[in-house]
Parts: sequence; structure tokens; C-alpha cells
Amino acid sequence: MFARYLLLLVLTVIAVLMSAPSIMTVFTSLKPATELGDPAWFPPLAPTFEHYVRVWTEGGFGKYFGNTVLISAIDAVVMIFIASMAAYAMVFIDFPGKLLLKFVFLLGLMIPVTAIILPLYSTVRSFGLINSHLGVILADLALAVSVFVFMFTSYFVGIPKALHEAARIDGASEFQIYRRVVLPISAPVIVTTGLLEFMWSWNDLLLRLLLLPREDMRTLSVGLLNFQGTQTRDITALSAGTVIMAVPVVALFLIFQRHFVRGMTSGAVK
Amino acid sequence: MFSDTSSRLSKVLAPLLFLLPALAIYLTFAIYPTLSVVQYSFHDWDGISPDMEWVGLGNYLEMFDDRIFWEAFRNTFAWSAFIIVINVGLGLVIAAMLSRVWRARLILQTAIVLPVVLAPVTVATIWRWMYQPDGVINEAFRGVGLEALATPWLGSPDVVLFALAFAHSWSTIGLSVIIFLAGLQAVDEDLYDAAKVDGATTLQAFRHVTMPALRPVTAVVFILTLTASFKVFDIIWATTQGGPIRSSELLSTYMYKRGALENNYGYGAAIGVALLVIVSLATIIYMQIQEKKDA
Repeated sequence: MFARYLLLLVLTVIAVLMSAPSIMTVFTSLKPATELGDPAWFPPLAPTFEHYVRVWTEGGFGKYFGNTVLISAIDAVVMIFIASMAAYAMVFIDFPGKLLLKFVFLLGLMIPVTAIILPLYSTVRSFGLINSHLGVILADLALAVSVFVFMFTSYFVGIPKALHEAARIDGASEFQIYRRVVLPISAPVIVTTGLLEFMWSWNDLLLRLLLLPREDMRTLSVGLLNFQGTQTRDITALSAGTVIMAVPVVALFLIFQRHFVRGMTSGAVK
Repeated sequence: MFSDTSSRLSKVLAPLLFLLPALAIYLTFAIYPTLSVVQYSFHDWDGISPDMEWVGLGNYLEMFDDRIFWEAFRNTFAWSAFIIVINVGLGLVIAAMLSRVWRARLILQTAIVLPVVLAPVTVATIWRWMYQPDGVINEAFRGVGLEALATPWLGSPDVVLFALAFAHSWSTIGLSVIIFLAGLQAVDEDLYDAAKVDGATTLQAFRHVTMPALRPVTAVVFILTLTASFKVFDIIWATTQGGPIRSSELLSTYMYKRGALENNYGYGAAIGVALLVIVSLATIIYMQIQEKKDA
């Protein structure tokens, strides 16, 4: 019994220490100027949203937020379609060269984005897509598609072949089977794919730093980085910006925790 | 006859149409740049002019003679080693403790795993603030009378790398905990009962039942942490950019500086190839372990 309480106590201490940095950041973002002298772990006594308003309007975070939502949402939706279609072909259609193709997709799991950013920049530039959201979206999709092709493949393998055969015999085309038979029963992997790709896209800095140098194209990650350089003394604004960037992914995580956990353990290779 | 050709046509076309969107994007923006990075690494190129000058192994030879490259190389390994010790060691201990708790498990687990979804640039901003000379960490040390431990964390060449590695671990250990938890759930309950009958203590059971059963999972976490830590760029760039005096310079930040900022694409690419080789090797080992586990 004593051991059980000790265990609970130790875990509680760890959980509190793990949450402390985030909680103190939220506290700071809500403190009026008069309370800034208080220790960081003091909650705000007269909470104010003035820093959020300032960051959102003057700091440009409203615009950056819009850019980030646009890129991440398109990334997530398009990823669901291209990865599931490719996986459908890999599982349900026979064609020559399948093994080679599997190997080519496997390569994608090994390529660290960091290692190829220089030629990636040149490639995107040769398409005239620097400072275009489309350029970042295409790069995001290319660099993560392997993970999701394999995630969909391992899910589709579990679908009884008889289901596919039956639809075939009824005269359905491959595209009809994909749309009306396979996709409707793939909700779990669709949700996981959408969530993970949205989060990766939302959080990425390197590709956005490289491919979207113009101020009005910026995402939250680049905005926060630049803000840090210019506002080192203005800790309230900085923490409000941090919270703005964190809230959407934290909210998604709390709502879909089980999907996230499953996705992150199976897609952990990236 | 006609229907035969058309059905054969559709047989070829169907897989092509399904694969085309993914494959076109993937080959253009992932595979082609990967092949190019190898090509660049044999050339001198500023990234803009139409001509690349072939220099053979020149960039690699320069790399092997480059003191800063080796410093970044050593830093990257030290960085990874530190993160592996924390994420694998502490990750396993936390997961083992969590697996023995039922009530309050969800809230404890959520608090520990939550930082995983935060962006590295967010993590960087939070910890840069906490690590300031008059920041909350030094305040806490002073508050409990450990004045001697207070230090300018990101300004001191001796501790900056580990201070940042600690921040990185804070935000990634949740992933190890999740994977270990899944592994722990798969350990056969009967083994624990047998150990209990034999009079084993909880610690002995952990040492002789849990740890051997978790060996494959541990290998997975090890390699994942290794590859992830080698790819790190964002958190360093958003805090010290490799400083002070290169004490937190990693291969990724050095490559970015030489390649993208100084327009020395050939040399940057050679560093990129080094990264590519290290990470690919680790990933191949990882996949081999995964396959063995599934078989």
C-alpha cells in the first residue's frame, strides 16, 4: 500500500515538472505589466488578453496563423488521398515492378530532410515556387508520403480480399471500389494520417525558413523565430505567440489522443 | 478482340493512375533532391550560376580536414548520446511506473506525453526563456540555496549543448514512454505470477522478467531516438544557432551555414551526404529489428 502511494507521488512530481514549462508560459502570457516582477510560477492575479491582441495584430500572427492553417489543412487532406490511392494500388492491383516500387517508397523513410535541403531548394526554385505556399505543400507531401503509404498499406492488407473480389464481380471499377468500399471502412487510418500530417506541417520550421522567405508568406514557426530575434525583452508578447502556435495542436491532441498515440508509435520512423 | 485490348489497357492504366499523384510528387521533391545532393557533393557550386565545376572528392577531402566539421560531428554524437540516455533510460522507468497505475493514469500520461506535439521552435522559445541568467531555473536554484548551480545555461560553452539536449528530451521523451508502454502491455502476465510465486521482489521481477522481454522494443526506441536526434535543426537554430563559439554546432546547422547561407552548395552537400549515410544506416538496422519482431 505504501509502495503504491510512493509510486503515485513520484509520478505526480514528474507530471508536474513536465507540465511546468508549458503552464508557466501560459501564466506569463496572461500577466499584466504590473505582475511581471512576480516569479514565473505565480499565476496571473488579474489576467489580461492584451498581449494576445497585440501579437495577433501588430505582431502579424493573425496573418501567419492564416498561412499556417492553409498549408497544414491542404497538406493533411491531399496526403490522405495520394497516400491511400498509392497504397490501394500496392495492395489490391497486380502490376509488374511492385517490389521495386515498394523499395523506392522505403527509401523515403530513410531520407533525413535536413540532408537534402540544398537541392530541394534548387528544385522548388526551378519550378518557380519559392515564396509560394504550393512549393512548401509539395515538399511536405513528398517528404512524408512514404510513411503514410506504409501506414495505409498495412491497414489495407487487413481488409478481406473477398470484399474486393465481390465488388469486382459486381462490375465495379477499381476507382469505384476504392471510393465506395475501401475508403468508407478506413476511418481510423484516415484520421491518424490527417492528424499526423497536420501536426508535422504545423510544427515545421526548416522548410518554411528556406522556401517562404517573404514576410507575408510566413508561417507561425518562422514568425515565432523572427519575433524571438526582435522581441527578446518583451517576454509577454513572446509567450503569447508561443501559446498561439501551440493551442491548435494541443487541442487536437487532447481530443484525438488515442489516434495520435497509435499514429506516432507506428509512424515514428519519420 | 477490342474488349480484350481495352481491358488490358485498363490493367496497365489503373495502377498507374492510382500511383501517379503520390509518385510524381515523391520522385520530384524527395528522390530527385536526394540523388542531387550526391551529385552536388562532387562539385563546386554557388547554387545560382548555371555552371557547376567538377571537383571529384575535393569537398570530402576538405571536409575531413575541416576542424569545425569534426567539432560539429563530435557535438552531434554527444548530443545524441545524452538524449538516448534520457529518452531510453528515463523513458523506460516512467513507462514501467505508469503501467502499474490505474486510477489517474490518463491524466498523468497526458501530462508527460503532451510536449511531444509542441513544435521544436515552440520548445526553443520556452526553454530559452527559462534558461536566461535571471530565468526561472536559476531562480529556483537560488530559492532552494543551490546558488552554485545557477549558470547562464545557453551562454556557457560547457553546458549549452546538454542544456539544449535536455530541452529536446523534455519534448520527445513522451514518444519513448508511449512505445515502452505498448511493449509492456504485451509482456505475458503469467511470467510475473511465476516470479511472484518464486518470491521475487518488484525490482527483481523488473530486472529479470520485464527487461529481457522488452529488449526488441528498447532497440526500436534506441534507433528512433538516434535518428531523430541526428536530424535536429530547428531547436538549435531557434536558440543559439550553434554558439557560443560553436559549442552547440551540429552537422545540420553547420551544413545550413556553409550551404544555404554562404552559398557553398558543394561543401554543404558533402556534409548532407554524411548525415544521409549515418541516418540511413541506423534506419536500415531499425527496419531489420522491426521485421524480426513481426516474424
